[in-house]
Amino acid sequence: MNFWMVMATATGASLIPCAWSCLRGSPERRLVGLEMTALVITIVMVLVTVGEGRLIFMDIPLALAVLAFGAGLVFARFLEKHL
Amino acid sequence: MSARAIAIDSLLACTCLSCWLGVLGMVRMRDAYQSLHYLAIPAVAGLTSLTLAIVLQTGWSQASWKCGIIFAIMIASNSVGTHAAARAFRQRQKGHWQPKPDDAEVEFLGGKPQA
Repeated sequence: MNFWMVMATATGASLIPCAWSCLRGSPERRLVGLEMTALVITIVMVLVTVGEGRLIFMDIPLALAVLAFGAGLVFARFLEKHL
Repeated sequence: MSARAIAIDSLLACTCLSCWLGVLGMVRMRDAYQSLHYLAIPAVAGLTSLTLAIVLQTGWSQASWKCGIIFAIMIASNSVGTHAAARAFRQRQKGHWQPKPDDAEVEFLGGKPQA
C-alpha cells in the first residue's frame, strides 16, 4: 500500500461524519452533507486512481464532479419547492 | 527520500487535512448556512494540493489535465451550488429569498432594501 492509498483511506474516513450529517438533522443540514459527500468522494476517487496507477480511470471522478453539481442543484430546487 | 517525494507526501497530507477540516467544520457549525461555508475548504485547498501532487507525480500527463479540469469544475460549481442551496434554504424558511423591510437581518445590517 503506497502513500496515495493511505491518504485515500484517511480521507475516506471523513465520509463517516458526512453520512452522520446526511442521516440526521434538518433537510438543510442533510443537503449540505450530501454536497460535502460528493466532494470528498471525488477527491478519494482521484487518490485511488493515482494510487493504483490506473490513470485511465481518472474519467470517473471527472464525470462524478459534473454530475454532483447537477445533483446538488436538483436537490436544492426540490427542497425549495416541494419539501 | 527525494525532495520531490517529500513535496508529494506533504501535498497529499494537506489534501487529507483540508477534507477533515471541512467535514468537521460542517458538522460542528450551528446551522446550515454556516455549514455551507466549509464546502470551500476541500474544494479549493484540497483540490489545489491534490492537483499539484499529481503534476509532481506524473508530470504534465493526461491525468494532470483531467485533475485540473476537476479542480476548475469544483471551483466553479462550488460557488454556484452554495448560492443555490442558501437561496433554497431561505426560500423554504421565509417564503422569499430577496430581502424585505420586515426581515430581521436587514435591520441588523442597518439598511433598507431597495423597492
